[in-house]
Amino acid sequence: MVGGVWGAALSQLVRAELPPVQGSARLTPRASHFPGRARSVIQLFMNGGPSQMDLLDPKPELNRRHGQSYFDKIAGEVENISAAGSILRCPFSFAQHGQSGQWMSELLPNLARCADDLAVLRGMHTTNLTHEPALNIIQSGQMRTGHPVMGSWIVYGLGTENQNLPAYVVLDDPDGMPVNGIENWTSGFLPPIYQGTRFRSRGQPVLNLRPEKEDAPEAARAARDFLRDLDRRHLGQRPHQPALEGRIESYELAGRMQLAAGDALDLTQESETTLASYGVGKAPMDSYARRCVIARRLVERGVRFVQIFINGQIWDHHTGIESGLRSACLKTDLPIAALLMDLKQRGLLDSTLVVWGGEFGRLPIAQLTEDKSDKNAGRDHNKNAFTTWMAGGGVRGGTVFGETDELGMSAVNGLVSVPDWHATILHLLGIDHEELFFERTGLREKLTGVTHARVVKEILA
Amino acid sequence: MRKQTLIRLMAHCLGWWAWGGVLSLGAAEHRPYPILMQHCWTCHGGPAREAELDLRSRSDMLKGGRSGPAVVPGRPDESPLIQRIRDGACPPNRRLVEANVKPVPDSSLELLRRWVADGAPEETVPLDVAGTPADPLVKEKDRDFWAFRPARRPPLPQWPEGDVAKGVRHPVDAFIVEKLAGQRLSLNPEASKQVLLRRLYFDLHGLPPTPAETSAFLEDDSPDAYERLVDRLLESPRYGERWGRYWLDIAGYSDVEGKREQHLPRPHNYRYRDYVIRAFNDDKPYDRFLLEQLAGDELADYEHAAEITPELYDNLVATAFLRQGPDPTWANITGFVPDRLDVIGDAVDVLGSGVLGLTLKCARCHNHKFDPLPARDYYRLTDIFKGVLDEYDWLKPGLQPYGGAGNSGPLKERTLPFVTTVERVAWEKERDRIQAEIHGETQKLEREEEQVRKRFLEAEIAKLPDSEKGLAWNYVSDPKRASVDLATNLVATFAKSLAPDRARLKEYDADFKRRWDALAALRRTVPEEPRVAALWDRGRPSPTYVYLRGDPQRIGPRVQPGVPAVLDSPERPWGATPPWPGSGKTGRRLSFARWLTHSEHPLTSRVLVNRVWKHHFGRGLVRTLDNFGRTGAAPTHPELLDWLAVTFVESGWRWKPLHRLLLTSAVYRQSSRISEASRQRDPENLLWSHMPLKRLDAEALWDACISVAGARDDTMFGPAVPVVEQPDGSVTPGKQGDRWRRSIYGQQTRKSIPTLLESFDLPPMNPNCVQRSESNVPTQALNLLNDVVLRQLAARLALRIEREEQGSVDARIILAFEIAYARNPEPEEMAASRQLLRVGPDGDRETGLNLLCRMLMNSAEFLYVD
Repeated sequence: MVGGVWGAALSQLVRAELPPVQGSARLTPRASHFPGRARSVIQLFMNGGPSQMDLLDPKPELNRRHGQSYFDKIAGEVENISAAGSILRCPFSFAQHGQSGQWMSELLPNLARCADDLAVLRGMHTTNLTHEPALNIIQSGQMRTGHPVMGSWIVYGLGTENQNLPAYVVLDDPDGMPVNGIENWTSGFLPPIYQGTRFRSRGQPVLNLRPEKEDAPEAARAARDFLRDLDRRHLGQRPHQPALEGRIESYELAGRMQLAAGDALDLTQESETTLASYGVGKAPMDSYARRCVIARRLVERGVRFVQIFINGQIWDHHTGIESGLRSACLKTDLPIAALLMDLKQRGLLDSTLVVWGGEFGRLPIAQLTEDKSDKNAGRDHNKNAFTTWMAGGGVRGGTVFGETDELGMSAVNGLVSVPDWHATILHLLGIDHEELFFERTGLREKLTGVTHARVVKEILA
Repeated sequence: MRKQTLIRLMAHCLGWWAWGGVLSLGAAEHRPYPILMQHCWTCHGGPAREAELDLRSRSDMLKGGRSGPAVVPGRPDESPLIQRIRDGACPPNRRLVEANVKPVPDSSLELLRRWVADGAPEETVPLDVAGTPADPLVKEKDRDFWAFRPARRPPLPQWPEGDVAKGVRHPVDAFIVEKLAGQRLSLNPEASKQVLLRRLYFDLHGLPPTPAETSAFLEDDSPDAYERLVDRLLESPRYGERWGRYWLDIAGYSDVEGKREQHLPRPHNYRYRDYVIRAFNDDKPYDRFLLEQLAGDELADYEHAAEITPELYDNLVATAFLRQGPDPTWANITGFVPDRLDVIGDAVDVLGSGVLGLTLKCARCHNHKFDPLPARDYYRLTDIFKGVLDEYDWLKPGLQPYGGAGNSGPLKERTLPFVTTVERVAWEKERDRIQAEIHGETQKLEREEEQVRKRFLEAEIAKLPDSEKGLAWNYVSDPKRASVDLATNLVATFAKSLAPDRARLKEYDADFKRRWDALAALRRTVPEEPRVAALWDRGRPSPTYVYLRGDPQRIGPRVQPGVPAVLDSPERPWGATPPWPGSGKTGRRLSFARWLTHSEHPLTSRVLVNRVWKHHFGRGLVRTLDNFGRTGAAPTHPELLDWLAVTFVESGWRWKPLHRLLLTSAVYRQSSRISEASRQRDPENLLWSHMPLKRLDAEALWDACISVAGARDDTMFGPAVPVVEQPDGSVTPGKQGDRWRRSIYGQQTRKSIPTLLESFDLPPMNPNCVQRSESNVPTQALNLLNDVVLRQLAARLALRIEREEQGSVDARIILAFEIAYARNPEPEEMAASRQLLRVGPDGDRETGLNLLCRMLMNSAEFLYVD
């Protein structure tokens, strides 16, 4: 599937910039289109679709009109029609925080301390209201499967600064995969070296990094030497075959990765204070906190793109939104705030772009359970409005951009489409979204596709 | 008369110029059908005719349904059609998702109202008819591109003078040598027999030769030993398993629907995979292969056939070719028209990229930017397929009882019962046999139940105090009457203890329970009805409109079915007629398939021979296998491509002669060594100055591993061997028992791809794969070195060697090299191996022989073919 132009460009690249070994060459750092503000990205992916009106986009009108009928106005926008109820109030209180006066729900007390670092996008919208296609859109820009995700595009464009670690690391939840599974970090039609590599926070960090049963050291050494000699002989009889050279190098890289990955995941190197500040060792945020600390350790080591997932869809509150949101925030609020503060304190926040958000938002009306009571009510999916935020990496903190209607049903001002959002992230890394492309079947494939995409200049520092 | 034609032509052109969609319609123009199609036909048209109302034609609307005419021309406010939409009664809000429709926008309602007010005339927008003499969108000069002109057999090049020819007299060589000579290059010398052997085995079977096969060939000194090996390999069933896999990549074969979180299985799809393997092994001509896959249901009448012969069965199974793409439409929420259009788009993409070598999909949203493929032609093409892939009359994937929200609604089947009569009769017989057994055993058990009950009651009543025994027997014989005389508490006690249900009786009598359980187990063995996943023309396709920018809400001109104008030619006419009298099918796809396989078709044969060339020679003559258009790569050897294409068609579109032709050339038999001259003057090997070194693809690697380990199970066909997701997140092929089948029989999912195969570039099919990528990453090394299954296989290889060679250490080493590399070790390798074998087992750790085997399976020579 590798396009001809890409192949040609690659071999040029190899000749122009790179050491003789071709196999490892493809991920070496490459110059961006223009100086970028961010060097790395940490994507805090909130699978399920966090409720914008209960977290970051206050809508007092919901409380005033609680119980009023609204379904017939939005019937075509509701997934679970039989469960649709009337307008549902927001059960949480909002307050302003920081010098910028960011509005935040009471569920985010720790993030509130970082209010002045956040640029909040309230005008986000997408084009599909079902998880799987909406996830494809937010990750890859395309509703269809098989397209590279943002992280793949970024490492395709920029390479990475640490050759002993994968360029794009996925920290998925040991308790389970997100919806769409590995498609969330697929390189699609790009070569597989650009796909996300899963680092597990329990057990072996990378699949098959070590054998299930360790070899005796001298046996392992003897076997390695034997293999290396065998491959060198083989190569010696076949001069000018770069693939064979690359392959020998990739075995050596595999050896280095065993050390580097173990080191990056070794949290015993962190101070007690640091670990405690993230909530490591504390229920229920321990697991997420660990992944946040690891994310910081990875960007410190030059990993380009880190993506953190939570199992299942903890933000998908079709029912019981009041308790459900509370528990989802409890799991993530402290670790996320600690990550931002830790990055800042270490001087990494300027070069690290942290992005938070899910695949869509939620409706102003209730989704009811069989008992039809508000108490257990949730909110159904909403593609017309959702809220995300960015911090660090060249983002102007303390900003709010975009606006939804009085009920939070649709974005009405400062609209940001998913391609706009992608273009903005690429821009912060110094990439022009129109110029990052891969030629395939006669088409310049881009993260932002063929639709017009706009960099959201309003939130740039 | 002439004037009229001119006016029609002008109107036609203007229609194309004025592509502004619905809103640009002039005051006098009316087009009600797109709106009705989008919002009404699901319930009032096609098979569902709620309230006996069909809104698919003007006359049907005037006739109306149970509540009278739907439309009163000239009186919109009295027309129920308008009233019901206006009042929000239709489409009913509460059934939108189930019916997969959206509410009617006010602008559309207004258009309908105006249409009725103007007397509800037939659609007045001009119809696009393919083959209009002057095509404003595709010009004569557009046809003048090499790939759109039929291939003609070029003369063989003159043999160059001097050394370069080296006595080569094979037609393929003539073309290659001519170009090489232009660069003062020649072919490499012939590779050694050992290299050729391994090359042939992997190219035709995707498997390594066994030591016995190796020595047989190396010892065969007859002049035609090589040719006979080629023939033997082509006759083996292993050939279809290798080359069938290439075709499955093109089709995008998958055992699951995809796109949603829970991947709905496609339980009948393996029949298509088996069909493909059989087609290759039988050397089914490519034109027939395409006819069956594109229009098998229109080739012969299967509904009224006295017997479903293997041929009729193949016709139907083959049609699944167009159903391989990811398909989420089984779920209501992902079953709307845009979702369906994506599925159709994938089918067109598979056809375009895999068979036609055209990037047709670009024209879904706009005129193709580089090739003469207007969006109109894309929609003409989708109209050809509308008898089976109709976004407004959609068959949903069959749904097993399955979780998830909102999957209710009317479901239609995508399968037919037409397996071969032989299979069906065998199934019926087996089903009847088991059912008879079940019936007999059930009756027996029911009769016995009385005996068990009696014994139970005797035992229970024996436990009662004597005073109650008589009362109890009375109760048992007639509970109602006895209850009248009994104390209430006693009634309750008796009701509880003396009225046993079957579950209680099973508890009481273990043998009775065991027999019921056995019966339940027997019930589970009733074989499911064998069915064929197929596409079949349903005879009444919805009209097709160009969707502006690919958006089904933005309706452009209405089109008729037709082939891309740039490929249309008087010599290859296209026009649909029902395939047989009274068939009720449109015959569109059959006509299309016949057009596609016309001997003069400029693309079909070129695209195919280019693919075969690619698999044998590492790169296509046209490097972009899926794109023969202007943005594709130009052929490096255009005359050779045409010569091969013409030869292929003339020899009956058969694959095996084509293989034979290519494999007996000196180009194929040359060594892969890169000479200094070739490095200077042909650095990218565009001229084939040497044979490229080829890495095994994922399947060949896996199949090679299970082969050398002596584990390979050559059982062919049948349901997919499920992949297993291990607790550590890795995915392995197969469970115990059937895990060592060849990889083509492993379950092809879109998300759970076996870890090892994925790291060696086995792609998820979205929708298909026109060319595998080839990466070189450390995860490959980690998997090969450390994967548990790979270690098991290496250990099995070691055991095999110990079993087969009980002689000296050196003999074992030689056997290991023969199995892995099809050659003997060189002295240095021998020495190094001896040393490795001295590493003794340490506790339960690996033996030296294990290590040797594992390292050989990790080595470059194992993974690459010279």
